[in-house]
Amino acid sequence: MAARRVTALVLVGAVALLSATACGADSSILGKDSLVIGVKPDQPGLGMKKAEGEFVGFDVDVAAYIAGKLGKNARFVETPSSVREKVLMDGSVDLVVATYSITPERKTKVAFGGPYYVAHQDTLVRGTESAVDNVRDLKGRKLCQVTGSNSWRRVKEERKIAVKLVEAASYSECVSGLTAGRVDAVSTDDLILAGFATADLKIVNAPFTDERYGVGIQAGDLDGCEAVNKAITEMYQDGTAKKLLEKWFGKSGLALTFTVPQFEGCG
Amino acid sequence: MAVVVPATGPAPAPSPPRAPRLRTVPGRIRAGAGAAVLAVGLLSALMGVALGHAGDGLRAIGHTAGPQVVATADLYFALSDMDAQVATVLLSGAEGGPGRQAALDRYDQRRAQADSAVLQAADLARGDPTGQLTVRAVLDGLGRYERLAARALLLDEQSPHAAGPPSQQALDVYRQATDLMRLDLLPKAYNLTLDSGTVVRHAYAAESSAVLAGRFWVMLGGAVALAVLVALQVFLVRRFRRATNPALLAATVVVGVLTVAGVLVLQRASDEMRTAKEDGFDSVLVLSRARAIGNSLHGDESRYLLDPQRADTYEQVYLDKSQSLLYVPGGNLDKYYAAVDETVPAFPGKSDFLGFYGSEADRVTLPGQREALAEVLKHYQQFQRDDRKMRQFATAGKNSDAVRQAMGTSFGVYDDALVELTELRRQAFGDAVAAGDRAIDGWNLLVPGAALAAALLILVGVRPRLAEYR
Repeated sequence: MAARRVTALVLVGAVALLSATACGADSSILGKDSLVIGVKPDQPGLGMKKAEGEFVGFDVDVAAYIAGKLGKNARFVETPSSVREKVLMDGSVDLVVATYSITPERKTKVAFGGPYYVAHQDTLVRGTESAVDNVRDLKGRKLCQVTGSNSWRRVKEERKIAVKLVEAASYSECVSGLTAGRVDAVSTDDLILAGFATADLKIVNAPFTDERYGVGIQAGDLDGCEAVNKAITEMYQDGTAKKLLEKWFGKSGLALTFTVPQFEGCG
Repeated sequence: MAVVVPATGPAPAPSPPRAPRLRTVPGRIRAGAGAAVLAVGLLSALMGVALGHAGDGLRAIGHTAGPQVVATADLYFALSDMDAQVATVLLSGAEGGPGRQAALDRYDQRRAQADSAVLQAADLARGDPTGQLTVRAVLDGLGRYERLAARALLLDEQSPHAAGPPSQQALDVYRQATDLMRLDLLPKAYNLTLDSGTVVRHAYAAESSAVLAGRFWVMLGGAVALAVLVALQVFLVRRFRRATNPALLAATVVVGVLTVAGVLVLQRASDEMRTAKEDGFDSVLVLSRARAIGNSLHGDESRYLLDPQRADTYEQVYLDKSQSLLYVPGGNLDKYYAAVDETVPAFPGKSDFLGFYGSEADRVTLPGQREALAEVLKHYQQFQRDDRKMRQFATAGKNSDAVRQAMGTSFGVYDDALVELTELRRQAFGDAVAAGDRAIDGWNLLVPGAALAAALLILVGVRPRLAEYR
């Protein structure tokens, strides 16, 4: 009798212990065979969806490298900016690598690996422009204002530089406006500008903000987040980061940083 | 273990070859006594393993990796202060006098501190090739930084200037130095601290779950041993129609007390380990990061004055760093100052801010901690007010007033308050580790001793009964 009871107890205990470890593995991306990674569909150089449905860009390559380092297959899905927190929280997407800036507000909902790159707000002007060395030189010039983007505020409101705003629906419209002479400058994240850069446009290389592009991951997945950080460290150590940055942004003339950024920390 | 425990259950089912021996009364007594001694031995082994895990966990958090992690957090601080001191020297100009010399002395002191912190980091990164590469890169970079800084200082001495920006040559070299420090070395140093925090987290998670599992097995082992002892007692009482066997009863009491005490001690050790980790270690690490970032924040003030062409960039990173310390919404410095002025006086009644101080405010667990944090925030507010004045002087072109303001005392006062708060956490950490150590102290002797006593008592108890059959 006693022996049977003891056996039963042992079994119950063992089951409890096993299920506890199983739960721990389940909630981390490290327990999955393949990862669903959210990227942008419409950001040249960073995340673009091609006609065949394939995604290309710096973010996509970085995400593929991280997934490879974790030993996982990656499946890319398009993740609009407005749902990035939601899809991570409900678990339908495992990682978001989509020009996703780390901010304290977002950190209350999701965690961030990385940043894998620190972009800076910079200014794009025509190649013939010689009088703009710095954001302050935009005074009195026509700056493109994209509906729904805050970048122009950082020039006009935060730095109180008296620019004339010209509205546009998107950054690609701004860039064609710049070439055509309808605007004098476009100001937003340098990597986004670099994606648009052509031979007759130049980036001023006077950065004035830090935009830390992180890898969004479900809050609480410390093991997954630390593994992402390790993968990013290795991406810089083995020269892949430099190669990818040069591949996507090298031609733009942008001053790129090839050393590992300061991580946000997972805990 | 799941395989071992049931096998030691009482009165094993009579298997054919052993059956003849178990049919005789002395055979059964011997079997029962043997099973009881085995169960006691097993209990002692289980306790030994669990206590070993508790000891390992406390050692890792409290005595080896934990303190090393805190030391590597100082690496960032030392590096960022080196760069801040170089900026101070360049900014103070020829008539800087004693302040200039003090900054140079402090530079040397921080360099020594950085060297020893790199060694700690190298030690922690053993077995982690990625981490080792980072440590080596920091070491190489530090050498390059020192050369650049020395050249900038030399160039500055060669062209004396009033308080404010130095000669263009000195500034050009300093830019290379500070870029190397801020964009390359400091991020790596910071990531090293995060990495080594991971080492401690893993050690803690592994050992603390081992201790809790061990507690379960000790409970089970104790229950089995007690069951065997009670069964043996009952058998003897019935078979020989005697009163309770006192030696066996004593053995039962010893096993019972040992089990209960063992479970309690493991619980205690695991509690203290958690306190050390969550109330001590985690917070010390967060506050060390806050101190390091605060220090480079202060450096950004000097750099803002030092390099007017890059003033916008330095102002922006100043704001970003401020917000990582105490986050309140505010897209530019003016809005941030206003938000800080509104938020800080509302604490501790209301704490609706994020960032390092937000997470500290969410985890008030120690007596006096809330007051210490309020003190830190109050001085932080004062520091931000002085920063505002400094920037007003600078934009009005009053260079020497701005420099004097930037070198004022408010940062030191704020930093001291932060050190005090950290000390409170450090104290909690040390206390919890010491309490955990005390809890398991001596048990490595006590457990086998008690098990041996119980085994002897069992043998003493059954011996007269066996003698009746000789």
